[in-house]
Amino acid sequence: MAARAGPCCRAGLSGGALLSRALLSRALLSRALLSRASGTPAPPLWGRAAFSSAAAVSGREGPQAREGSVRRRGWTPQFARSAAPPRTERMAVDQDWSSVYPTAAAFKPASVPLPIRMGYPVKRGVPPPKEGNLELIKIPNFLHLTPPAIKKHCAALKDFCTEWPSALDSDEKCEQHFPIEIETVDYVSSGTSIRNPKARVVTLRVKLSNLNLDDHAKKKLIKLVGERYCQETDVLTITTDRCPLRRQNYDYGMHLLTVLYHESWKTEKWESEKSEEDMEEYIWENSRSQKNALDTLLRIKASENVSNVAEEELLASEVVKNYRNSVIALKNKGETESNMSQYKESVKKLLNIQA
Amino acid sequence: MAAAARGLRGLPRALSVPSAARQLHCSAVCLKARAARVRAGKGDKAVTYEQAHAPHHIGHRKGWLSLHTGNLRGEAGAAQRALEDAFLRRFLAGTFPGLLADEAVLKRRGNLLVVCALLGRALPPHKLYFLLGYAETLLGTFYKCPVRLELQTVPARVPYKYL
Repeated sequence: MAARAGPCCRAGLSGGALLSRALLSRALLSRALLSRASGTPAPPLWGRAAFSSAAAVSGREGPQAREGSVRRRGWTPQFARSAAPPRTERMAVDQDWSSVYPTAAAFKPASVPLPIRMGYPVKRGVPPPKEGNLELIKIPNFLHLTPPAIKKHCAALKDFCTEWPSALDSDEKCEQHFPIEIETVDYVSSGTSIRNPKARVVTLRVKLSNLNLDDHAKKKLIKLVGERYCQETDVLTITTDRCPLRRQNYDYGMHLLTVLYHESWKTEKWESEKSEEDMEEYIWENSRSQKNALDTLLRIKASENVSNVAEEELLASEVVKNYRNSVIALKNKGETESNMSQYKESVKKLLNIQA
Repeated sequence: MAAAARGLRGLPRALSVPSAARQLHCSAVCLKARAARVRAGKGDKAVTYEQAHAPHHIGHRKGWLSLHTGNLRGEAGAAQRALEDAFLRRFLAGTFPGLLADEAVLKRRGNLLVVCALLGRALPPHKLYFLLGYAETLLGTFYKCPVRLELQTVPARVPYKYL
């Protein structure tokens, strides 16, 4: 019975169509078959009925639906035959919404019982209604992510989750047990390929205070890494992306850290040639400032005709210590109000000038 | 038009007559944009919301028909997605001839390709389901990714305006 429209399927298609369009000859054939099946005498085949389309979907509904149906032939999708009413009319107010939209889906006007309008209104009009509204279909909707639906997701995912270890309840403990932080980024995009070359970058972060370094090793390490060390936070950051795979970049980063650590503990022969320009911070001992201060003091003492005072005594004196501290503060920390005033006081005391 | 006029001026003049040269006359009217615009007529042409709005309304009054990450800054694959979109629209036009009430909306969610189409009610449901399965299977095999067709039927094309 190919000519007869198959079993009616209302489900699935929203605004479900129950009609079947067939050519006139097939309509006549089906009409004859149906009437033979149901036993009623066939209505006149020509005339008005000649232009009728095929019978309704199920044989049981055939006789009623067939009568008085005048349809136009041709490829216009204009059907005045009643379609099934939208599902929204049969929806209870307290229904389970997560079964209407269990997953992300396009907007279906016959499934969403809201009187939504969307679009730019025509002049002196209103925005177009939701039926056949392409704008509502275009936009992503979150009808599948209502709070009760998310609760259900969380309940389902709970079985796959493990508790955070109770021993790691503060940031300091985490840092103490896991001093090295590895940062990697995963990229999600739409398309048939999951590859993204940016995903191979690995960033390693470690605080130098967590590493076992003495003074010389720390200074040497800082000199070796250069830009990668941040003075304020005491964090060394190593970013690797020279290998094609993330695992390889991670291994390379760990290898770099290991090599830096071991190299900074070694002392090469040429390190003894470290000069004043290579120093990281200002050291007052054996500097020009110390020499100048001692010279000045000795000359003051000589002009006062005091017997030769030992240099160590001078160095250990209070005024010289003050001067030393103020000069170190100025050089290392930069010029600030307090630094400059401290320097002024110490120079006055050194030269014994009372303002 | 202007470029053609400039080109013609460079042509050698005719040998005997010194003033034999062809000129082109261009007017500003010919430079009107015609892309994706339905010109106003007598008032009997029904147009959908999509057809009634010109491309400069995209982002203001119209949304996008194809959503994917390829056009974002720093993302790859824009050209491939555009090619896939072009093929998909032709394929749909051929699979549902005369049935498409409006442009198909293509959405990509990771690997999944969702095609949302508005169809008329000319075909019985079982035929529509066959075409749905056919399209999903064939497109899934072509593009090696899951393809989902979400079809809706409307009684007729929804007119927004009459131009």
